[in-house]
Amino acid sequence: MEITERDKFWMNNKLFQLWRFIVLNIKILKAVDHSKRS
Amino acid sequence: MAKVVIIGAGFAGHTAALYLGDKLGKKHTVTMVNRFDSFAYIPSWIWVSTGNMEPEKTTFKLRPVYKRMNVHFIHGTATKVHPDEGDQFVEVDKANGDVARIEYDYLLVATGPRLAFDATPGLGPDQGGHSYSVCSLPHVVETRDKYLDYVERMKKGEKVKMVIGTGHGTATCQGAAFEFISNVHKDLVKKGVRENAELMWLSNEAELGDFGVHGVIAKREGKLFTSAEFIEAAFKDADIKWQIQSAVTSVDADKIYWENYEGEKGETTYDFAMLIPKFSGQPLEYIGKDGSDVSSKIVNAGGFVLVDGIYGLDYDTLERNPDAWPSQYQNPTYRNIFAAGIAFAPPGPISRPFTNPNGTAISAAPPRTGMVSGIIGRVVALNIVDLVKRGRMTHSERMSEMVAACVASMGDSLWDGNAATIVVHPVVPDMRRYPNEGGRDLFTTHMEMGLGGAWLKRMLHDTFIWKLRGLPGWKIIPE
Repeated sequence: MEITERDKFWMNNKLFQLWRFIVLNIKILKAVDHSKRS
Repeated sequence: MAKVVIIGAGFAGHTAALYLGDKLGKKHTVTMVNRFDSFAYIPSWIWVSTGNMEPEKTTFKLRPVYKRMNVHFIHGTATKVHPDEGDQFVEVDKANGDVARIEYDYLLVATGPRLAFDATPGLGPDQGGHSYSVCSLPHVVETRDKYLDYVERMKKGEKVKMVIGTGHGTATCQGAAFEFISNVHKDLVKKGVRENAELMWLSNEAELGDFGVHGVIAKREGKLFTSAEFIEAAFKDADIKWQIQSAVTSVDADKIYWENYEGEKGETTYDFAMLIPKFSGQPLEYIGKDGSDVSSKIVNAGGFVLVDGIYGLDYDTLERNPDAWPSQYQNPTYRNIFAAGIAFAPPGPISRPFTNPNGTAISAAPPRTGMVSGIIGRVVALNIVDLVKRGRMTHSERMSEMVAACVASMGDSLWDGNAATIVVHPVVPDMRRYPNEGGRDLFTTHMEMGLGGAWLKRMLHDTFIWKLRGLPGWKIIPE
């Protein structure tokens, strides 16, 4: 595994990263929900 | 009227204080004892350590928060616990020099770690040590000043070797060291002096990206990849050299001495070193009614509080029994004593333990910081509320059920910053529930790098400080 120039482009593409930011938030909230939270 | 005492206002203790104050504070007595009168938001210290955030932005005063939340605050250091029935109290050396005796019906020990720099000769910034640390705010400020001094020297063309990682064979908190080395790299690039710095990662991990949780396996574009591959890619991209499977045995003014898995002894020269020490329990004394030392009923040899886990299992048995991990964090002998965060004794390591031919233990200890601490603090607080109101506990959460998200920033910029976001669920692998190689839920377990993570890290800074100040809506923000 290596970080390619293509990866770096997407890692700093603002629109794509806005999407990833939303996805990450959903992932974490989903994970919190999956966790027992009892 | 019940009396609840909490020792330690870190993530675990402070979270518990908010819930206890909210649910019991008006009719019962909730008391917090803490050495400092401020809360420190540790995850953002990493930005302080490279001079990119003022220390004051990571702290807030506890007293006004506790006044609002109906929690009594005692600024002082708890020194002795008297746990026997009929005579249960905590002795506190108050900051004003007085000694206080605080009676309790329920006690939560959430003291955080003692930074055991003394376990590695020459380690740490205090008492003649030679390395730096990011484990307390004064240490972070000292690290920042030294780091910025080296940046100035690099601007004049000086070559500097920086070694970052763990300073003991059984240290934990590799995540903090990883975040520090990533931020140092990014900061040096920003300042145009990266070519004058040699960055080296030196750790006790079995593999890169072990982080004390036995590494992470996640899915990307339908394919499995490991945290070892993920971190290796990040290090290669940043030109960071690494040496793992190593226990630092001592540090002098210009060399770090270590042993590796094979038992070979070696040394690494350095100009600047930031090495995380071993953690042990805070030195609280536990005294019985007759004046005898009853510590062995409450804490293990490392000073961590024994709770409802199953202790003494070998690694292979523990790995197959995720239910051996504690769920209610209650001491089995003194059932009104609880522990949360780093203060509780885990039943064993999450990463496979290793001892080299010289008998030196080299393996990352389990992390119990941040999100894990906050969740345990909440579980314990809600159980104490249960005991006070109903007489029985209804809440539980094992680390083998718990989720943890770690956002390791690589620079603080919201425009061109970066961060590695790692979500693990559960923290302790559960091969029975998730029969895959990693023992974790492959839907929620996740690793990625990008600017979105940097935004997330900043958002967490603001929302968590909001939550921890007990401001409106604090309860809906998860730990």
